[in-house]
Amino acid sequence: MIRSQRPTPGKPPLSGKPKYSLRDTLLSYGFLAPALILLAVFTFYPLAYGSYLGFTEYGGARFGQGLPPKWTGLDNFRTLMADPLFLKSLLNSVKYLIIVPILQLASLAVAVLVNKNLPGMAFFRAAYYVPVVTSISLAAVMWDWVYNKDGTLNWALGAVHLVSKNQMFGWLNNEYTAFWAVMLVTFWRGFGYYMVLYLAGLQGIPAELEEAAVLDGASSWKRFWSITVPMMKPTILLCSLLSTIAALRVLEEVLVLTNGGPLNSTYTALMYVYSKAFQGFDFNYGLASAAGLVVAAVALLLSAVNFRLFRDSSGDGA
Amino acid sequence: MSKKIAARLLTLGLSLALGTAAAQSPVEVQFWTWYLSPKFDNYIKSTISDFEKANPGISVKWFDKQDSMVQDFISSVNLGSAPDVVNLNIDETAKAAQNGFLRNVDSLTPMASLKSTFYAQPLANFTLGGKVYAYPWYGWLNEGVLLYNPDLMKKAGLTRAPRSMTELLGMAKTIKDKTGAYAWVPALKDPNTASFLGYFYSDGLPIYDAGGKAAFNTAAHAALLQQYVTLFKGGYIPEDAVRKEAFQVATELYPQNKVAMIVGGPQALTRIKDSNPTLYAKTVVTEAPLGKARVQTGGSMGLVVPTASKHPVEAAKLAAFFTSNASQIAFAKVVPVVPTTSAAQRDPLFKRASGGDPIANATSLVGASGRYINPGFKAPGNSDDLYKNLNDNIEAALLGKKTAQAALDDTVTYWNANMKK
Repeated sequence: MIRSQRPTPGKPPLSGKPKYSLRDTLLSYGFLAPALILLAVFTFYPLAYGSYLGFTEYGGARFGQGLPPKWTGLDNFRTLMADPLFLKSLLNSVKYLIIVPILQLASLAVAVLVNKNLPGMAFFRAAYYVPVVTSISLAAVMWDWVYNKDGTLNWALGAVHLVSKNQMFGWLNNEYTAFWAVMLVTFWRGFGYYMVLYLAGLQGIPAELEEAAVLDGASSWKRFWSITVPMMKPTILLCSLLSTIAALRVLEEVLVLTNGGPLNSTYTALMYVYSKAFQGFDFNYGLASAAGLVVAAVALLLSAVNFRLFRDSSGDGA
Repeated sequence: MSKKIAARLLTLGLSLALGTAAAQSPVEVQFWTWYLSPKFDNYIKSTISDFEKANPGISVKWFDKQDSMVQDFISSVNLGSAPDVVNLNIDETAKAAQNGFLRNVDSLTPMASLKSTFYAQPLANFTLGGKVYAYPWYGWLNEGVLLYNPDLMKKAGLTRAPRSMTELLGMAKTIKDKTGAYAWVPALKDPNTASFLGYFYSDGLPIYDAGGKAAFNTAAHAALLQQYVTLFKGGYIPEDAVRKEAFQVATELYPQNKVAMIVGGPQALTRIKDSNPTLYAKTVVTEAPLGKARVQTGGSMGLVVPTASKHPVEAAKLAAFFTSNASQIAFAKVVPVVPTTSAAQRDPLFKRASGGDPIANATSLVGASGRYINPGFKAPGNSDDLYKNLNDNIEAALLGKKTAQAALDDTVTYWNANMKK
């Protein structure tokens, strides 16, 4: 049992930090230890070592000959800044952030809809979640059929006379459409996940608040903006944060659908990291780690922006 | 007898027993193949079983690696549990050898023996700086055979198959205009390869100059690329050929009657047989059209022995067994691969078949052609970066962002500035 100095009823709370006995402290750390050890081994150490590698030369030849990483300072970062492919990939990843507000608004809106207690709503909740658990390889085959020159999308557009047969093209083969086509797949895959998180948040809002607002004659739009959104701020922050980081780290869809093409229009920063770290025996862990650090820095910066935008003004939230 | 003597005798007895057991316990050799399971499990398992019977002191632990082959290889070396025999292709073998991951196999098997077992060119494909880094295994020819849909050819008004690449390029427009089907799917930019360089080699155009610098940007090179660009822009080559491997696109479209011909290895027939048996039965197999140099291009797998292998001698035995003529012929009976052993050219399996099954015809046409297995150019040390640059430039030319000449000029400049020999 953890014993601490607690305020006694009838007395004002004690100021300053509560004092814990040595036994309590040791016991607390003892409970934390298993998780901390796992985190240290599988998260903190790889993170620290990966960051260190970003400042070294460590690739196929050194590795193959059993030589340790060689400290090169900022050389890898200079190489990155001089590589047009990296700059383009970083720009594409930042451009990919366009999906964040669209995905969040859509999943919040649908969460509000499926939160209603209507018959058959469980089916919709499950249906929207199916893409989240669909394997990316299967999704790739399916979306390839959709986007193909002779695929479903062109067929549908042709059926409503929006495009003629000789105007049709493969949506993933065109430098102007491939990026958006891949983004739609990300939307399709992520939508259900965020919807479930929002649904959980919505179900945590006390029903009395809604009822009181209804009695006061508030419209559903007013209730949404004045009750739902403020109460959901912590969930919105979480989802926006996760979605921002996921957008910056998008890789799977790109790998299986376009491999970064055409003309590198879908080549993302993580694709760059992946290709440098895992390109056969000529891998370059140093450069890949440096690129990873740049992506992490951008993610941290954007996370700070998210916190600023969605911080719960009451101070109790996330 | 005192207790001391008894204890010593007991110790001696135990040591002898343990020593004998240790001597008798077989050496375990770890063998990694690449994308061969589950389709060829029976063949691999039975060959391993034959090997173990012939070598009672060695047991084989087999793993089939797929996407993660190279990463797993690197990790296992790092963890001190490197495999002993690994299946790699020519490009990866070159990179692994240059980076010090591989043992030269001519230090394990005499060079004379290697030379007498394998054709010269397939052995040369795995030779760097005078050292051989792999036992050549099963191969394929990029041109290999030509297989075609006779109904589509007839509909296009063509009476015979093309005999040269020039004829094939000339037929592309006719076939598409008259049938709606593509003539064939060229390997414009197969992912992670430099497939277009193969077309230069086929036409006798150099890839490197005498000093080893990239030199594929002459007017003749650009003119050849321009022919493909013109066909692509005209809609005579499937769009997907810029995004996917040509073999994949061809084997998807051919069974749907959307492609009239496939130039390539007979392995395409196995897929067609599965997806459209009626068309498979009608498919005609004939000799592949060749470029102006009248040479074939192709590649093969090899079996390498990592530097970190703890049992190189036993590994060499296993690799030699799998790549022996008998084992490669047995494999060619399962799937139409091209053996890299010189004795294969005399094997009755590859005697010319007449009529009948398309796969048997194709196998007989290419099976004994292992001597022609040649990628056409040596992979540079940092092939991934350079191939990506080449493919990006080929794509830019196909999509009209650069002229063919500018695309090749840019590639050659990049290669010569960044190439690691």
